[in-house]
Amino acid sequence: MNKLEFLTRLRNNLERGGLGPDDINDALSYYEEVFLDAGFGKEEETAASMGSPEEVAVNILRESGIHVGGAPVMPPQRMNAPQGQNGPAMGYVPPKKKASGGTIALGIILGVLTFPIWLPLVIVVVTLLFTLIVVLISVFIAFVAAAIGLIIGGIAALFEFPAVGLMALGLGLFLTGIVILICKPAVSAAVPAIGRGIKSFCGWVVGLFKKGGKENV
Amino acid sequence: MGFSINAGLLDAMVLSIVQNNDTYGYEITQYLRKAVDISESTLYPVLRRLQKGEMLETYDKEFMGRNRRYYRITTKGNDSLEEYREEWRSHKKKIDSILLNEGAENNEQT
Repeated sequence: MNKLEFLTRLRNNLERGGLGPDDINDALSYYEEVFLDAGFGKEEETAASMGSPEEVAVNILRESGIHVGGAPVMPPQRMNAPQGQNGPAMGYVPPKKKASGGTIALGIILGVLTFPIWLPLVIVVVTLLFTLIVVLISVFIAFVAAAIGLIIGGIAALFEFPAVGLMALGLGLFLTGIVILICKPAVSAAVPAIGRGIKSFCGWVVGLFKKGGKENV
Repeated sequence: MGFSINAGLLDAMVLSIVQNNDTYGYEITQYLRKAVDISESTLYPVLRRLQKGEMLETYDKEFMGRNRRYYRITTKGNDSLEEYREEWRSHKKKIDSILLNEGAENNEQT
């Protein structure tokens, strides 16, 4: 429920209860301020933390001496409530309600509707991982190519310009050594590490959706 | 589990917070949350009641292009808060004497 919906329902309930226009405006401006103070983008959370507008209205009406049929539900009040036992950030106390089928469905709908937001993010992360792997492989290939080229070129140049040829040959062998040194531990360590990384990332993405379905809204 | 807070105690705590500093509704709730599990919807009737009882008065202050309603304690509110505090001290003592076995009549400690 967003701010507008909450305030509209609150107004309707207060009007139906017969509260004076001044009192109604006072209450509405208070609740609007709460939404604004809680911060932009936290409307759903704030609305949820206050309970239904009907309950809120009943409490206000009762305080103004208007009796409303049915037992008014007082929000739970406990001393030293353990903070954040099941609550999201910002110290909000979520309403003590079990997630019904409706809220789970709503979570799924929200997940689907917000896909323009998370889809690009997932794509960016995947692309970055891919780029990293490609860069590492490219650097490796460049080293190998340079080593081979220098050795062949060095042998070729050896007879015409012995000094240049020897230097090229030496550099080529030097690079070959580096490649061999990097290659052995890097390949044996990197391949399983990349595999694990991709696997855990996929697991994280899947977990995000499972959690999102349960906790969202 | 927890202990319930009654309306009087809530009134007293709100008065005490406002006495320290003029403040606005959202901040009062955040402050109360340190001790009590309440929501904005619990606080509004309390503020309204205190306002109607002339314990608190309000004024608007500009904040980021909008008005924020600040609460200020009145002389009447101050007097009432003192009464509440006195009452709480004796109440607390009585509860402690039973719950914590403190200051029983025959062995008066503290």
